[in-house]
Amino acid sequence: MTKEEKPAPFTKFPDICVRCATCMAACPVSRVTPRFPGPKQAGPGAQRFRSAAEASVDDWIDLCTGCRICDTVCPAGVPISEMNLLAKAKYLDERGRSFRDWLLVRSDLFGEIAARYSKLVNPLMKKKAVRWLLDALLRIDRRRDLPAYEYPTFRRWFRTRQAPEGGGPVVAYFYGCFTNTNETDVGKAVVEVLEAHGLTVVVPPQRCCGIPRLGVGDLRGARKMGRRNVDSLLRTVRGLDIVFSSTSCGLMLRHEYGPLLHITGAEELAQHLFDICEYLLRLHEVGKPAVTFRSIPIKAAYFAPCHLRSLDMGLPALELLRLVPGLDVSLIEAECCGLGGLYGFKREKFAIAEEIGKDLKEAVARMKPDIILTDCEGCRMQIRHMTGLKVLHPVQLLRDSLERRGTAQQKGLLKRAGQACKSKNVRLVISCVRRVCLFLP
Amino acid sequence: MVKVVTMADIAHCRRKFMDLQTEVLIIGGGATGTGIARDLSLRGIPCLLVEKGDFTSGASGRNQGLLHSGGRYAVNDPEAARECITENRILRRIAPHCIEPTDGLFVSLPEDGPEYRANFIRACGAAGIDTLPLSPREALSLEPRLNPRLIGAVQVPDGAIDPFTLVVENARDAESRGAHILIHTEVTDLIRDGVRIAGVRVRDRITAEAFAIAATWVINATGAWANHILRMAGLQIGLALSKGSMLITNTRLSERVLNRCHPPASGDIIVPNDTVSILGTTSLRADDLEHYEVTPEEVTFLVDELSRMIPDLKGERFTRAYAGVRPLLQSEEAGDDRMISRGFTLIDHGSCSGPEGLVTITGGKLMTYRLMAEKTVDFICERMGLHVPCSTHVQRLPGAGQGHTLQDRLLRLRRQAPAAKGEILCDCELVPREAVDAILREGKVRELQDILHRTRLAKGTCQGGFCVYRLLGLLNERHKADVSGGSNLILKAFLEERWRGIRPVLWGTSLKEEELIESIYKGLFNLTSGEPVLPGGGGA
Repeated sequence: MTKEEKPAPFTKFPDICVRCATCMAACPVSRVTPRFPGPKQAGPGAQRFRSAAEASVDDWIDLCTGCRICDTVCPAGVPISEMNLLAKAKYLDERGRSFRDWLLVRSDLFGEIAARYSKLVNPLMKKKAVRWLLDALLRIDRRRDLPAYEYPTFRRWFRTRQAPEGGGPVVAYFYGCFTNTNETDVGKAVVEVLEAHGLTVVVPPQRCCGIPRLGVGDLRGARKMGRRNVDSLLRTVRGLDIVFSSTSCGLMLRHEYGPLLHITGAEELAQHLFDICEYLLRLHEVGKPAVTFRSIPIKAAYFAPCHLRSLDMGLPALELLRLVPGLDVSLIEAECCGLGGLYGFKREKFAIAEEIGKDLKEAVARMKPDIILTDCEGCRMQIRHMTGLKVLHPVQLLRDSLERRGTAQQKGLLKRAGQACKSKNVRLVISCVRRVCLFLP
Repeated sequence: MVKVVTMADIAHCRRKFMDLQTEVLIIGGGATGTGIARDLSLRGIPCLLVEKGDFTSGASGRNQGLLHSGGRYAVNDPEAARECITENRILRRIAPHCIEPTDGLFVSLPEDGPEYRANFIRACGAAGIDTLPLSPREALSLEPRLNPRLIGAVQVPDGAIDPFTLVVENARDAESRGAHILIHTEVTDLIRDGVRIAGVRVRDRITAEAFAIAATWVINATGAWANHILRMAGLQIGLALSKGSMLITNTRLSERVLNRCHPPASGDIIVPNDTVSILGTTSLRADDLEHYEVTPEEVTFLVDELSRMIPDLKGERFTRAYAGVRPLLQSEEAGDDRMISRGFTLIDHGSCSGPEGLVTITGGKLMTYRLMAEKTVDFICERMGLHVPCSTHVQRLPGAGQGHTLQDRLLRLRRQAPAAKGEILCDCELVPREAVDAILREGKVRELQDILHRTRLAKGTCQGGFCVYRLLGLLNERHKADVSGGSNLILKAFLEERWRGIRPVLWGTSLKEEELIESIYKGLFNLTSGEPVLPGGGGA
């Protein structure tokens, strides 16, 4: 271990806590299960008793979803989730991790392959027998819908597409694994919206940010991923701003690479990292872009993911969405969707994730929106799973409301739908029609 | 005094003890007193112990909780050092659950020089104390927070001891062997029968009932209060009262006891104790045994002095300051109290022109409580013509295991009754409701502070700020708080005592937390000052 990787001394953390228990009131996990004693107890409370020389015994630590709500509400500034994460890492280092955890955190590796054979993989993953098998063998809960893979991947699409003319300022895009292989449209929307703002988008070489590894307490693995990303990003895009569309990747890049993982250059990188909505909102605030939005008169509900809140930048997506005329958007008053990334896929934690999400489900039921918008792919999966509603990244809606697209795009879409009908590509038909419908008044 | 017992409990007590007569009466429920009670009952001699407060209300509950190796006295007081190491080995055997065998380091800083270290190792060898000299690098690898400028360290078999459990276990063992113990019972007078002391008059401090206890022998084991009892017989002994102040940190600073390797001085020791570390000590003459405080100067001094050993000490969070009064036998040459021997003395007042039947045992220290008890009981046996050997050095104390790590706490929680599972009264120290329930069921506690002496409740970060009201809820449920002012008065007494302890170290995060606690009590609970508040007893 080199000097840069030396973990921060966290013996002081219990001293900063004022025992006010605000985190206990906010923690979604302790709210639904007595097995987790809450951030105060599991974090600064237990820290007083922990001894580096002794084996970890507090198995509750594995129940923390890593939502970081405790950090955001703490009035004393105790890095509770960091403390929990380090304790979890020690616990799992000692206990060992299951094959499932080993596999799940490497989704970036098999994702590319799965995407390539998505036509084969996707129907398989919907099969009851396969899900049952995954449940029995890997304890991946069969009640959870597995995200479908898409091909071509975002990366491939970006490489092969016809880039528009124009020499506007350059901005780099960190898309994240899920956008690459499972929700390519989010990536496309980011690129289109940025280009509509007169920017030239580049996609630097990048790998999984490492947050799944952090979730299973694999600090070393996460640090490895992080170092590669920092090296690559700093080398290729030094001086450029980098936007991300996944809040969890963004949190990892901006907040964990430096303070938690002590990766050289992370601080410099963090200064150039922006959430896509945060970045767009800044452009609009300085009044630069000549972009106007077309009216989309639907009722939308926006959910602010926990990791977005812990990025501590307000709710830029909500402010941006309010620029879209006719869009009736309101904030969903709920704390956490409960999925916690890979957490909610694990059989032993499925019930907890579901119970946490109930608040959100009920809030949505009260609001009766046509569409739900949220920045995090995990939240989107969970909300789709719970409500069955259409859930998009805010940037996808922004893309759809870009003025220049308008009716021309509808025509284009309908034309594509017609072609798709001929070629009997049902999925493309549905997707085109769905998008056309979005533009309808 | 504030009650947490019902009248029925006391009536029961009184019925049992109305007609009180015993062979040996012990005054003082500290380590020495309860040690004597245990020794007597192990030798089959009937005895009764009276204590004006709760166990460990005096120096027994207000010390550093250090299991001396004797190293500290090796150079200046070899006899005390030998006593210490002998008792150290005995206590590890008979009370393993009260002891953390942490070992200790005597750390030499550049200003301490290598000469004292050499002397120290030699003197320890002469006293039979095992030493292991460590290089600076070795010492730092064991205790990374030590001053990196250290020139060396010596490891000795120091440790931490939980005096509360030790004393309560001694008392419990004595009781189970036939001894009687009355806490919150104050001696008001000695009864004379000609040249003999025939017993004492006592007053129950909670019910104010007065009664007499007849006894053949009266043992004055009141430590710093020895002269207070002796004055009733017109006697006095030379006793210097030396106040020692200590600070408690929020977390453990070290895994080992850290001493400065220089002649004993103030502010040169850090003892890890359960979840916390205790920094000590000062030495100032005390005039008033009932009212003494830790002064800001002492706090500054301790932090300054000890930050030589642990440089980042100043950023540490402190949770409490407390002081105890050492009863030191006055030597002829007056001077620094630290030069007075920590030895003890047993005075048979009958043989030095005082009344017969009165024995005073004082001086000494927690480490030698068992030896003091043994010598006292040996003397009583000899005068009674009995020939029963002492067995306190081989008979183990009863009691469950203790431990300061998360593992120990969680295992203990897991052992609790299923009904009480999950309910934790004090979350700083993980004290479950069941632990307090068990103490209440035993029926021996009469005050809130009595409960606090028997658990680690309110000994954590918040010092009871967030848990004592939960405890009061429990007391109310058990109808233990419904007399004489009730919960409100108990709460106020507790808060006054708590304030006394935290005020000297109130800065930084502690101060922020205190603002919050103040607004909870004043704002939410509408607790007002104004009504007279009775002081509670009790230690830190």
